Amino acid sequence: MDIRILFLILVPLGTAFLIPFIDLINAKLRRFFVLLGILLESYLIISIIINNFQSLREGDFFLQYYLGGWHPPLGITLAMDGLSLLFAVITAVSLFLIVIYSIGYIGHHEGKYYVLYFLITAASMGVVLTADMFNIYVFIEMLTITSGALIGFKRSQEASAAAIKYLIYNVLAGLLFFLGVLLIYFNLGTLNMADISQNFASLESGIQLFISAIFLTAILIKMGIFPFLFWLPKSYDTAPSPVTAVLSGVLSKVYLYIFIRLFWTVIGFETLVALNLNVLLLDLALLSSFFGHVFALQSNNIKRLLGYSSIGHIGMITAVIMLNTDAGFYGGLLHIISHMFMKAGLFVACGYLLQYTRSHAYRDFKGVGLRNRSVFIAFIALLLSMIGMPPLLGFASKWYVLMAFLEARSYFGAFIVIFGSLTAVIYYLRYIAKGFEEVKLTEDDLREEIYSRPLLSVLYREKIVSFITYAYTAIIVGFGLGFRFFDLPLRMSIESIMNVERYIELVLGG
Amino acid sequence: MEIPTETQPEVESLNKLMKKTLISVVLAGVAFALYQNFSLMPGYEGLNVGLSNYIIESGLKDTGSLNLITAVLYDYRAFDSLGESTVIFGAVSGIVLILSRKMLPVSSKGLSFIVKRTLGIMTPFIALFGLYVITHGHLTPGGGFQGGVILAAISIIFSIVYGSAFDYRRYSPQTKTALETGGALTFLGLGLAGIFMEGAFLHNLGFLTAETGTLISAGSIPYINIGVGFKVGAGLAIIFYSMIQKTFEEDF
Repeated sequence: MDIRILFLILVPLGTAFLIPFIDLINAKLRRFFVLLGILLESYLIISIIINNFQSLREGDFFLQYYLGGWHPPLGITLAMDGLSLLFAVITAVSLFLIVIYSIGYIGHHEGKYYVLYFLITAASMGVVLTADMFNIYVFIEMLTITSGALIGFKRSQEASAAAIKYLIYNVLAGLLFFLGVLLIYFNLGTLNMADISQNFASLESGIQLFISAIFLTAILIKMGIFPFLFWLPKSYDTAPSPVTAVLSGVLSKVYLYIFIRLFWTVIGFETLVALNLNVLLLDLALLSSFFGHVFALQSNNIKRLLGYSSIGHIGMITAVIMLNTDAGFYGGLLHIISHMFMKAGLFVACGYLLQYTRSHAYRDFKGVGLRNRSVFIAFIALLLSMIGMPPLLGFASKWYVLMAFLEARSYFGAFIVIFGSLTAVIYYLRYIAKGFEEVKLTEDDLREEIYSRPLLSVLYREKIVSFITYAYTAIIVGFGLGFRFFDLPLRMSIESIMNVERYIELVLGG
Repeated sequence: MEIPTETQPEVESLNKLMKKTLISVVLAGVAFALYQNFSLMPGYEGLNVGLSNYIIESGLKDTGSLNLITAVLYDYRAFDSLGESTVIFGAVSGIVLILSRKMLPVSSKGLSFIVKRTLGIMTPFIALFGLYVITHGHLTPGGGFQGGVILAAISIIFSIVYGSAFDYRRYSPQTKTALETGGALTFLGLGLAGIFMEGAFLHNLGFLTAETGTLISAGSIPYINIGVGFKVGAGLAIIFYSMIQKTFEEDF
């Protein structure tokens, strides 16, 4: 019973509940309160790591908390093993950076924005920590509703349309997930993940297939894998930049965590192999990656392009995880970390660079690099990392992914990795070149500039915004040189993915 | 340029037809697959398997709540209920964020004198029923979510019968927000009280238990119900009042 893992969820939840009260008393206090909440969250994470460093080294790290004092099959349990810890740490780091960015970026309706932001924080921590199927559904629902509202934050027609599209797709996925949870309860009479995992093999194979297929559809919609990717680019495009950074940097990774947790711990990879779903899923993910990069080539809008490239990368990560080898997990998890920082950093930089442009379109990107030279250089560094240039973090993770594909003799996968990098060179270089193009203002341009409203008139606190961009670039460069730092957490997470019996024993035996 | 404008409607209608056919084919396929798989499900075996058996046998003894659904909602799986009420909280914040305008609600005079008088007589009874459903959640069917919706209905009926400014002037959005967050914080506070007094978050508070079947019994369950009731009621009323506000171009 470690109470700190409970407070990882309760601190952001309490902050979200208290912000409306603070608004009623004095709206100026809000910013300090937001900082206090996120600092307390970071303190909890750091203290968990420091106090358990010895057991992390030895590989027997495990914490859990029984809510309401009810022991596993009866009540809800929170459990934190190596995989949960890795995801909790990287999610918290990303959310910490983005909330500081938001303080500089968001200029109106701040109260509601931070309420929704902290609800996202609480829900993503909850998804990562819980060991109960219905509880995970509740937190998924929370993520969907809050992020859907934030996509419509600009309150324009396109933003509302994108938010509604996002909500339709994702609520549908949530309903499918709920149906799966109901079927599991109907057949097994329990909701605890370890308990389900113990008994799942005793079901008939037809029912196993049905439940796996329903969960798979739900998760594929949420992650944006090929047949269900159409909600993704639109919502990435219209949401404000910090929200897009959360969507691509945090939410897609949280859904990847659910995918791993569900199909390795709960349902079990052997079941997927027995049902012949693993080959199908591997090819589907690779196809999705291919289509993501092809769509990115024809896209004329920088944020949409980054969204399509996200589809490409998420597909690649899913595929390399589906290999079910140690090398595959090593590359996949490393790429999850690096993609999280690269994409969030790119969207954060976009928010700064696109502040004076009329739209996100390619032609309006002209001269952006000359106006904000140092931020644009950081932006280029992040783009090079996406492509996979050697000293940066993107290279290290892509290298391990490529090695994993080659080791498993999945040459189509290896081809997709190379293909993705090569197409990325084409579609990113176009934007870099456009950014350095000199702008020659004619009379008509000036008139249009005056009469058309810019997307965001002026940034609230410009220094913070550019500082966060540099911070992301520093992370990418620094960890690119020292990517060996991730060796211990990655080995620990792979151990906890592969060793399902230990998880069952620890959760049920406690 | 003239030719496309002539053929455009035809192409568009053809596209629409294609889209409709495609959607119906996909839906028929999904329906068939679901039917096939649901027919595989084993028959209903009664309540003797799994957790439900244990809860039916010892739910009353464990929690002191006669209504076993409430026992599951606010004791065994209280964390889920906290999550669900947070989903409502998030939805309210989102709707207020997207729909809220600076203008007061559309003003109208409401319905006729007869309707106004009749509702004036009925309102206390509706409120009483709402409070009854909330406070007796652990004894009879109902609870915080259901009673809160009844309380929100009063607010909505007011705006229809007496005109939209009537309720708005008496209970401002600030009051409703305070009520809503107050309810949420009550839930959270009772959970934290569980840590200090019983040693686990959302543990049922032992010192509040009394004889089973009385109004004040079942530990912290009635108080959680009251918190959730006010939260849901105020939240749904806020949603309603943000939806009826007038939209102006300059508010975007």
